[in-house]
Amino acid sequence: MEARVSTMRVPITTRGTLFVVLAVFFLLVGWRIQALPDYTLARVVQDFLNALTLGSLYALIALGYTMVYGIIRLINFAHGEIFMLGAYFAFFAMVLTPLPLALALLTTLLLGGTALLVTRSLFNLESPKKTAGLAFPLLVGIFVLLGFRQLGWIEALFLSMIATAVSGVLLELVAYRPLRGAPRESMLITAIAASFFLQNMGQLVFGPYVKGFNPETVLNRPLSFRIGPEEVYFTGVLLVVPLITGLLLLLLNFFVTRTRLGKAMRATAQDAEVAQMMGVNVHQVIALTFFIGSTLAAAAGVMYAIRFGQIHPLMGLLPGIKAFAAAVIGGIGSLPGAVLGGLLLGFIEIYVVSLFPTLSAYKDVFAFVLLILILLFRPSGLIGEDLTEKV
Amino acid sequence: MRDRILTLATLILATLAIYGLTQMEGSGSLVSALTLVFIWSIAAISLNLINGQLGILSLGHHGFMMIGGYLTALLMLPEKERSPFRTRLLSDWARENLDLNRWLEALGLGFLAQSTDAKFVIALILAGLAAALVGLIVGIPSLRLKGDYLAIVTFGFGEIIRLLPNAPEVARFTNGPLGIKGVPGDAGTLWWTFAVFLITLWFFSRLKFSSYGRAFEGIREDEIAAEAMGVNLAYHKVLAFSISAFFAGVAGGLYASYLQSVDTQTFNFFVTFFLLVAISLGGLGSITGAVLGTAIVLLVRIYGGFLEEPRPAYVALFAISGLMILAFAFSVYIRRARHLRPVIEPKHLIFLGTGVGLMLLTLAFFSTPFVQQEVQFFGMRKILLAVLLILIMIYRREGIMGRSEFSWKLLFGPREDIPTEEQRKQDAWLTNPELNPDAGKGNNGAS
Repeated sequence: MEARVSTMRVPITTRGTLFVVLAVFFLLVGWRIQALPDYTLARVVQDFLNALTLGSLYALIALGYTMVYGIIRLINFAHGEIFMLGAYFAFFAMVLTPLPLALALLTTLLLGGTALLVTRSLFNLESPKKTAGLAFPLLVGIFVLLGFRQLGWIEALFLSMIATAVSGVLLELVAYRPLRGAPRESMLITAIAASFFLQNMGQLVFGPYVKGFNPETVLNRPLSFRIGPEEVYFTGVLLVVPLITGLLLLLLNFFVTRTRLGKAMRATAQDAEVAQMMGVNVHQVIALTFFIGSTLAAAAGVMYAIRFGQIHPLMGLLPGIKAFAAAVIGGIGSLPGAVLGGLLLGFIEIYVVSLFPTLSAYKDVFAFVLLILILLFRPSGLIGEDLTEKV
Repeated sequence: MRDRILTLATLILATLAIYGLTQMEGSGSLVSALTLVFIWSIAAISLNLINGQLGILSLGHHGFMMIGGYLTALLMLPEKERSPFRTRLLSDWARENLDLNRWLEALGLGFLAQSTDAKFVIALILAGLAAALVGLIVGIPSLRLKGDYLAIVTFGFGEIIRLLPNAPEVARFTNGPLGIKGVPGDAGTLWWTFAVFLITLWFFSRLKFSSYGRAFEGIREDEIAAEAMGVNLAYHKVLAFSISAFFAGVAGGLYASYLQSVDTQTFNFFVTFFLLVAISLGGLGSITGAVLGTAIVLLVRIYGGFLEEPRPAYVALFAISGLMILAFAFSVYIRRARHLRPVIEPKHLIFLGTGVGLMLLTLAFFSTPFVQQEVQFFGMRKILLAVLLILIMIYRREGIMGRSEFSWKLLFGPREDIPTEEQRKQDAWLTNPELNPDAGKGNNGAS
């Protein structure tokens, strides 16, 4: 059996499919440019930037789904809410800082302490020397970040990734770990309940209102360049989001393929029981998966918030579901599949609306239709192993 | 015989009680609560057929209910509510033709159009059939999948059905986000829902113990074994799906009539979630459980409003710390019941510590404005439901009833789980102290 969390190699058969998809795409665009006078090359480029950004955000969220599914066969419905938490943490990190020193110290102790406990046990840093080595930069770093000046978006992104990762691990600990070995339906129901819990808790704690998220950064400054007679407008976000996504992907790929823990992860995905017999701490690996998935979701959340300029407690719902669709389309359990699915979904969403404006009312339905079609005709996804159950 | 008399007596008593309730002054809130219990029970029983008896997780129930709700609303909409002003997005064609009166007259059944009740019967049946048809269309392709993939596909279909009414092309039939207002409320009354509820109850309890019901449960236990025993998997699954969709459609129609309006927010995913909590609480696979669970969950929803009233922050703080301490006590109770040692798990002391600490802190800073400010917890009931569902899944997956049903035998008959004295004597293992350490200590050995 193939490894469920497969690495970044794309099978040859899928390449053929990809070429077909690309050919159809270019044909459509060409036909549209020729047929419609207002549809110019500049708009194609503009759409391309938008689609790339949206697609990479979906890809980041989809990675969390696909990793968790690959390891414990659980559709983590609450992942969209983790994404929402990431955006809110960054928002508060940017708005509330600099905190009064006493409060900063308290937050540092709480957040840093929990983060320390979590990372210590997840990354095998239990020896006192390593713990101390981790504790010092972590605690001092968080304290300095919180206490002395207003945070920029990069620092906020960093802080939010830590805080969200801790929340993800806590969620796994409280809601999913007690259900290890339970029927998969029960786990799915629990995940749905956790998602509802976080949504409503978000409305309760953060307020049920839309909050503006417009940090004063270089990223939001409107830029433009010319293609022929038309101008293409964009902001720095559109360039930074794919860059950060690519960077995180490289890191993730390195982690999964080149480190001991990554190997343990792949082993657990392949067969948890045997992995356990080989000395892999399965609980740790699962928590680690949640940790990494939540980190990526937090990054996606912050960038999504900057991209669209607002946050609200239900913001995780649709991107979450769409990213899940992306993960399934790509082949759930497969890392490159999640990225491919995310990008595909982003491109479809932007280009279908742009090429066929009458369909814009059905924008949110595409993901589901595509999801259903894929599940019906190729349940293993574009790049994915066969999931039919055997006797 | 005894059971039949008892059932009949209960029915008569229930009817009398409902009659008394409707006659009583100031019982309005109770009447509407009971109406809601009946409507949602119908939906819960129907969802229970798929999720409990067939063992397939379906998350698209709100879509079926929505179809029933919309169709009933459109068919029953009175003439004056059909004006272009009231239904702005509805196309002229839909406005004129989606009308039960017109259909009945065309069929030469105009006399039926005289009575709203007769029209509602027809409209509800049509609503159910429409939902069943959609259930069939959704079911045939998607039921080839299994487990969580199936859950996701049903969820996807449910969401598509929910998102469609807003799209401009479909809005010509659904009036878009404006929804349909002014639906007659006749079928949303207590009598109506009670009657439909009884029919549903009768139908599903007959179904459960019929050959079809056994086949469904066979599929739940082991598909391959069931197939080997000659159960046609696809046929039974699609059948169950359609039956379930039919009753969901009827429940949706009743609910639309109860609300006297229907729009795209009436049937969102929360509806399915709510039903899921209800049947999980009652016990997946038990009709009695579905009704019981619905009643309990609805009680929380209807009478839990006090949880969301504004009150001083210290009440909330005390409540949180109290809950923490309770959680600790709960863990001790569970660990005792499961014979786990140590009874006090050191990790769980965190709950006790946080609870007591929070309480002390609140007391220490009692007069500060932070503790005295007014706070309001919107959505507390939904949070409570979500927590309840997680707790059920972790600690009592079989819910209240498990898979067993209510029966008179359960109440009055001899208990089958405790052996009679004769059986005990026959059973050497139970009575022999050398083999059974619990022998001679009353019923402990048997239970």
